[in-house]
Amino acid sequence: MTRLGFLIDQDTCIGCHACTVACKAEHEVPLGVNRTWVKYIETGTFPNATRQFSVMRCNHCEDAPCVEICPTSALFHSGNGVVDFDTSACIGCKSCMNACPYDALYIDPDSLTAQKCNFCAHRIDVGLEPSCVVVCPTHSIWTGDLDDPASAISRMVARNDVAVRAPEQGTRPKLFYKGADQASLDPTRTAIAPDGMIWADTTPAHPTPPVPDPEHQVARTAYTTAHPAPWGWRVSSYLVTKAIGAGVMLVAALLVLLGHAGQQAAVGVVPPVVAGAFTALTGVLLVADLKRPDRFHYILTRPHWGSWLTRGAAVLAAFAALTAAWFVAGLVDAAGAIEVLAAPTALLAAATAGYTAYLFAQCEGRDLWQSPLLLPMLLAQAVTAGAAVLALADVAMSVPEPDAVRWTLLSGVAATGVLISVEHAAHGTRHVELAMAAMTRGPFAARFRLGVLAGVLVPAVLVILALAGVVSTALAALAGAAALVGLAAYEDAFVRAGQSVPLS
Amino acid sequence: MTDPPARSVPGGALDAYPDPSTWDDVVVPDARAWPRRDERHYALVPTTCFNCEANCGLVAWIDKGSGEIAKLEGNPMHPASRGRNCAKGPATLNQIRDTERILHPLRRVGRRGEGRWERVSWDEALTDIGARIGRAFREGRHDEVMYHVGRPGDDSYVERVLHAWGVDAHNSHTNICSSGARFGYAAWMGFDRPSADYANARVIFLISSHLEAGHYFNPHAQRIMEGRERGAKVICVDPRLSNTGSVADWWLPAWPGTEPVLLLAIARLLLLAGTWDRAFVRRWVNWDTYLRHARPGVDPTFDALAPALLDEWAEHTPERAAELCGIDADAIRQVAELIGANLGRLATHTWRAAGAGNLGGWQTARCLWLLNVLTGSVGTVGGTSPNGWNKFIPVPPRHTPPQARWNEMTWAPEYPLAHHEMSMLLPHFLREGRGRVDTYFTRVYNPVWTNPDGFSWIEALTDEDKVGCHVALTPTWSETAWFADYVLPMGVGAERHDVASYETHSGRWIGFRQPVMRRYRELTGDPVASTLDANPGEVWEENELWIALSWKIDPDGDLGIRQHFESLERPGEPMGLDEYYGHLFTHSIPGLPEAAEAQGLSPLEYMRRRGAFAIPGDQYELHERELGEDELAGTVRGDDGVHRTPGTAGLHERLEEIEGHMPFIGDGSVGVDVEGTARIGFPTPSRKLELFSETLAEWGWPEHATPGWIRSHVHWQDLDLDGAERILVPTFRIPTLIHTRSGNAKWLNEISHGHPLWLHPGDAERLGIAVGGLVRVTTRIGHFVIRAWRTEGIRPGVVACSHHMGRWRLEADRGNERWSSGVAGLGHDGHRWSLTPKQGVRPFASDDPDSQRVWWTDAGVHQNLTFPVQPDPISGMHCWLQRVTITPAEPGDSHGDVHVDTERSAEAYHEWLALARPGPGPGGLRRPLWLARPVKPRATAYESR
Repeated sequence: MTRLGFLIDQDTCIGCHACTVACKAEHEVPLGVNRTWVKYIETGTFPNATRQFSVMRCNHCEDAPCVEICPTSALFHSGNGVVDFDTSACIGCKSCMNACPYDALYIDPDSLTAQKCNFCAHRIDVGLEPSCVVVCPTHSIWTGDLDDPASAISRMVARNDVAVRAPEQGTRPKLFYKGADQASLDPTRTAIAPDGMIWADTTPAHPTPPVPDPEHQVARTAYTTAHPAPWGWRVSSYLVTKAIGAGVMLVAALLVLLGHAGQQAAVGVVPPVVAGAFTALTGVLLVADLKRPDRFHYILTRPHWGSWLTRGAAVLAAFAALTAAWFVAGLVDAAGAIEVLAAPTALLAAATAGYTAYLFAQCEGRDLWQSPLLLPMLLAQAVTAGAAVLALADVAMSVPEPDAVRWTLLSGVAATGVLISVEHAAHGTRHVELAMAAMTRGPFAARFRLGVLAGVLVPAVLVILALAGVVSTALAALAGAAALVGLAAYEDAFVRAGQSVPLS
Repeated sequence: MTDPPARSVPGGALDAYPDPSTWDDVVVPDARAWPRRDERHYALVPTTCFNCEANCGLVAWIDKGSGEIAKLEGNPMHPASRGRNCAKGPATLNQIRDTERILHPLRRVGRRGEGRWERVSWDEALTDIGARIGRAFREGRHDEVMYHVGRPGDDSYVERVLHAWGVDAHNSHTNICSSGARFGYAAWMGFDRPSADYANARVIFLISSHLEAGHYFNPHAQRIMEGRERGAKVICVDPRLSNTGSVADWWLPAWPGTEPVLLLAIARLLLLAGTWDRAFVRRWVNWDTYLRHARPGVDPTFDALAPALLDEWAEHTPERAAELCGIDADAIRQVAELIGANLGRLATHTWRAAGAGNLGGWQTARCLWLLNVLTGSVGTVGGTSPNGWNKFIPVPPRHTPPQARWNEMTWAPEYPLAHHEMSMLLPHFLREGRGRVDTYFTRVYNPVWTNPDGFSWIEALTDEDKVGCHVALTPTWSETAWFADYVLPMGVGAERHDVASYETHSGRWIGFRQPVMRRYRELTGDPVASTLDANPGEVWEENELWIALSWKIDPDGDLGIRQHFESLERPGEPMGLDEYYGHLFTHSIPGLPEAAEAQGLSPLEYMRRRGAFAIPGDQYELHERELGEDELAGTVRGDDGVHRTPGTAGLHERLEEIEGHMPFIGDGSVGVDVEGTARIGFPTPSRKLELFSETLAEWGWPEHATPGWIRSHVHWQDLDLDGAERILVPTFRIPTLIHTRSGNAKWLNEISHGHPLWLHPGDAERLGIAVGGLVRVTTRIGHFVIRAWRTEGIRPGVVACSHHMGRWRLEADRGNERWSSGVAGLGHDGHRWSLTPKQGVRPFASDDPDSQRVWWTDAGVHQNLTFPVQPDPISGMHCWLQRVTITPAEPGDSHGDVHVDTERSAEAYHEWLALARPGPGPGGLRRPLWLARPVKPRATAYESR
């Protein structure tokens, strides 16, 4: 069995960028994106200062998170150690970019699909070394069969002190570094100084720790390339619309449990209409976030079932189907049917709300999202959102068991509050700490504070007052509105902070 | 899931290159279509990179489907680059496909510099230019034709053309580049460059950044790291932390201009410790001449040498050197011990760096070579050889006699020892009325931007009384081309013919640059008669242009010029390049015809297929070669043991006796007796290594005849360092760019486009420069405004700014590469000039979608405009380092602002001119006959009139 890997000898690398340009030529890589690049860091003080180079690229992981998460198997193991990709299969969901702990992937602006170093698989196919290996003036890039103990690379790996990037991610990378400065392999320990880089402009997309962290930062990043965060408002909005859709049906199921299956409007029709609308909106947001929305159906036509994106799509579809059935039952006022549907719908609503925890867990590059609290958090948010919607609906129509709805709302926001504070108090990896800092003190602090204030504190107070009987309907509705605003703010902070920690 | 594609490889090792026997049809799947196996068929045609001076091998992969160059990789058959390249090699593709390139000959409309052009045919342009030059020749105005070259590309082609024209018209960029180091080396050994055998060295001593720049980046970097892998220690002297300094075992950031002190201190420690090669020095150094001149009272025995030298360099103790250089004395001792422990295995190199920076900078090379001499590391395995041993210049077909003229506009009488032309003084010479230039060729050269004092160049170029017609031969737009009358598009690396050879390692090779599409047409049975027919648009190449232009100058042959360009095979018709190179490869490259025959090929076909040839033979210790009877026949042995040939520069009564071409270096003597045996030695007057240069002594500089230290014009102790004065290092290369010739390579400019001013954080605090703040850098003649970059990688007291950036154009949509230049306004009020940036780099519309994806904005600052000319009075080298005042920017200043007063430029010119000691020298000569000189005239032209 051949298992190709790279070894980059930073003891002999002279930081010349020939590999970068040879790669651009071989693959016609457009401006703005890179399959391989050379990072410079500077350490020490004059005259004991130095500059360290490290060549960055795909690590061709044995356990490649990008392959795991790819919903269409556009990313795949080639069988010879290479992690390759098929542009014609990619839908541009960018999940691989969040799964990869190495910033290896980018969206090609021509094809609008995810691309990366593929080991020059087309050259390997005819027995040629990758172009970066060939061009390197100092033969600092080694390649060969790691399964062949006699190969040069195997001997280098065996006989030298080699390192890999982000070993804690457990991806079993096949890119080894010899002689690399530890700080150059750990992007959280260096930062781009406020006066920028050695000979290139710095953009907001250049990776640098989101908050100043002088104790941990031991070096300055003198040169690196831009890596914009893959997911933005569409994904954070999707979390909100999905929570509403799922949550409404959860609360509706609760009302069924409490014996109100026969309430045609408040249980039979309005909840599935709201859920259907928000689930549809969820789908729209998801498709709109694809770089290749024209290919969204590939998830169904060429699914990779190991991906939680694929599984999530199935969950959403099933949930939408049950919601539709509920709606039909509601229309024909078939309370019995709704009673039958309630349990499976609730289960699928929970799955709809919660599957994102597993999807985000597959985003190995984003430690903030790896939290075991994410699943309960998503469920609590769904419950909150569902109760909030029904509390708002209560203003216009008669919702049965308004106090039950209010208690549900209170439970949701209370659980959310507890989960946030537990998350906040817990210590995580350095990535988590940095992401939390970015969220609570850094660039996303305003959104986070709004999330806590509007999403937890204000609705809690208002709903307690409502339960105490003070202008109950209005206050509960206000609490619901605040909770939804807070949810949106919090999700946006969470999604963005999670992607703010540099990976390269 | 996509099925993994079928693979043929596993198990077998991978190859770096397709087997050359398959190069006519290499099949590789299309990278963009993968994992679909869309087979692409390529023809692989070798050529040579045209970016830096290293001339590394390239192979163009021509897609046989589209008939276009798909990419360029390395040429595994190239002996220097061995199939590998730096970033600039593969970026040649950008230069070929550049949407900004000039595709047709253009002629100015309106005033010069107004920026309006019309397309003309090549014939129209050449007829006009040829008639103009012919008129000048017929009227005896030969000195009014000037050819000013940046990147030469070919070792002898243009020299032959100029000889054929009978003009002393060659002007080069060398005095703003490498003359300092060259003069220091030439004073020792005649040869003006080192050729270090890095791969076999034990100690590698660099006063240059050879792992990212220098002559010759990629080939040298390969071998330096090879040597290091085998245990060599690398020492790098540089006031700023280059990538080379980062990788080196020792980074010694000496104060600029004190490098000779460091080297002399090391030399002294070697002498004191007795760790020097007495046998080598006794045999090969003119120590007796030294003792006779420098220590007249001392009995000139070899044993007297070390005490005399220790006496001469007594002040250069490690402690004093530590103080002057700002380097720890222990480090100096440790380095000296390291060198002393590895006699014979010291590889050294300096090229531009200190030698190009400082008044007296040439002594850096002289003192560095002293270490090679003392350690016997000259010509040894792991030592350093003279470049001439590792370089081969072929003889072109058709003999052309040397010109009988001497052009004082380039070889000015004030600088009789100048290693190259006083090119940077041209605008001042024109202003002074020393002469005029009727037809001025700039060839891949951009003096308005590159040279110091660019506004004086603009003043000269816009004055049609001073410059009658400016012809820019260039692949790209440039600041200088904007002020041309004709802009004639020339090919980039893969679009032209040249033969080049460089001293990249121990061995000799020639590389053949060829227009790859022309070769491809030949391979596919569709040959073209001219490179013009195979290149994009109407892009041509100089070598064919010179033939055509010479024909236009002398259409009837009455000037005696045309004959030199006629075919040997078809008399009366112009010689084609196949004939030219076919003849050259067949008749003047040792071993090539045999190697070609072994493969059943003609020498030309062999070179077209392989692109390079390694000349067989070992190249170590060539100075030891014993002379045969035949070589000694007819020579006269002098008292000094030198065997001289009558009728040469070394032995003559009258200059008229010296006929034809003089040797490029040396006085024509054949060798010297060493301990009783006649050996070839070195091409100096003594045929030995000259510790004492009688040439320097006799030509007005006796105080600098031995290796020593000349206090730099920017010596730190003369600066107000407590105030705001600092030393500006404005010349450093980065690994991804090459002067002003890489602005057309998008991939290179994406990586590197800014050049903030390196400033030590302590200095920034002392000078009140905010983090990332703007700085006003004031020189003798003006100031520029630039962004500061704090770094620990620079000596406090020194600031530095790379020289590649700061490109500008005057119109939004033309006049320079939009990948790399900003839009600026050029203004002047009399002699007060300004350059005001209007817009940085921006995305733009073109046929290349990437032009809309340009994401960077910084275009840098054109700092060279603010530097006065500062010619070293001996070597003629422009001394690049600047004594500057660093202050925070003032209100109204913006990044990129430049202000200069050219009246002060003129004052500075006169101040530096006053340092020179004009010729003529001994014998009423303009210049020593033995010293190298480009396009050397016949001996009689050396006579000062």
